[in-house]
Amino acid sequence: MRKLFPLLFPLILLSCTQDRVSSLSGQVEGYSPVYASAADVNVITFETTARQTEKAGKIYAIGNYIFQNDVNKGIHIINNTNRSHPEKIGFIKMPFSNEIAVKGTYLYSNNLNDLVVFDISDVAKPKLVKRIQNVFPAVDQKYPPIPNASFECPDPSKGIVVNWEKRLLTEPKCRR
Amino acid sequence: MKKIIFVLILISISFLQCTKDAASLKYSAPTGQGGSLARFAIVGNYLYTVDAQKLSIYDVVNPAEPLLKNTVNIGFEIETIFPFKDKLFIGSTSVVHIFSISDPANPQKLSQAISPDVLRRCDPVVAKDTVAFATLRTNGPCGGIQSILAVYDIKDITKPVQKASYPVSQPYGLGYQDNVLYVCDTSGLMIFDITKAYQPVLLKTIKDGDYVDVIPYQGTLICWINGGVLMYDITNNKSPILLAKIL
Repeated sequence: MRKLFPLLFPLILLSCTQDRVSSLSGQVEGYSPVYASAADVNVITFETTARQTEKAGKIYAIGNYIFQNDVNKGIHIINNTNRSHPEKIGFIKMPFSNEIAVKGTYLYSNNLNDLVVFDISDVAKPKLVKRIQNVFPAVDQKYPPIPNASFECPDPSKGIVVNWEKRLLTEPKCRR
Repeated sequence: MKKIIFVLILISISFLQCTKDAASLKYSAPTGQGGSLARFAIVGNYLYTVDAQKLSIYDVVNPAEPLLKNTVNIGFEIETIFPFKDKLFIGSTSVVHIFSISDPANPQKLSQAISPDVLRRCDPVVAKDTVAFATLRTNGPCGGIQSILAVYDIKDITKPVQKASYPVSQPYGLGYQDNVLYVCDTSGLMIFDITKAYQPVLLKTIKDGDYVDVIPYQGTLICWINGGVLMYDITNNKSPILLAKIL
């Protein structure tokens, strides 16, 4: 019996911890990953008509053109030759894109974590010419963007993490 | 000899052809301009990108084929990059990191600018000559108490010193045209006279939308607002005139 006692001690501690969690009904505010399948994320298409801006994002100006990101949706192409009547002339439909830069007739952006290059020599008809995978971690695959937070551990078998959503979690296993 | 001349003529014609093709493009600028909240920036033949922790440097001599040349770990919660001359100003939620790119593929850290007023904030930054302007936003995940527009003396780039601060509500991006600084704030677009950089004077605040960032570009102020873009004529930089709205 005396030998058993030291073994019992950690058991008591363990039960304490468990009690405390259940007393909070196990619900804490934290983050859970939002997944997308890799195939869906990489599909880029081009539209030659104007589309309404859903969630306005970053802007970029070059010559008579303005590009505006539609957050996580793609890039609006705006002809600004007539400053009083700028018009949308196309849209690069690209999931999880946020960034824009242009050199000459090439436009750089991100398609989630990939760097992508478009030939825009015909600006209304961009062409995807290059993709470099996983060089721009737009969304952290391992942790939510906020430190000291509880979160649902990401499960790579469910897909790529494309966002972190704040919500009430039941006994989240991960914390940083 | 004749053959050689013929070849030379052919070569020069093909060059001419190339030039003509390039000129037929609908714009001719070598690079454009992003806003103060950008994570991508192009300087000369290099593309610089910042993710949450690191700076990546791509050679884009051949713009269709970016070549990753280098990556530099900077710190945590990196948010923005602003190129100015041979420097990169990299904003994070705690400090502005200043890098030299006189050797473009090998950025060297020169210093970091810390505001004594605000310890933790979100801070896009722009630089003008020997002065840097940053908005230090303290709401939400950025922490802190009072948001400010901070003005740094960067004459000695290795020792940036905060010289002025101006209280603002919830600032986002900023940009300047000559002696006028535009600051996007929840109160509106704040227009400062920065003729005396360390004594910014608020001329007026206009509100035609909820401003997020600005690009002063060739006499036009391009504003990212919630919902789309607003364009102003800034021929008179102190009095922007609304030109158009793109939604």
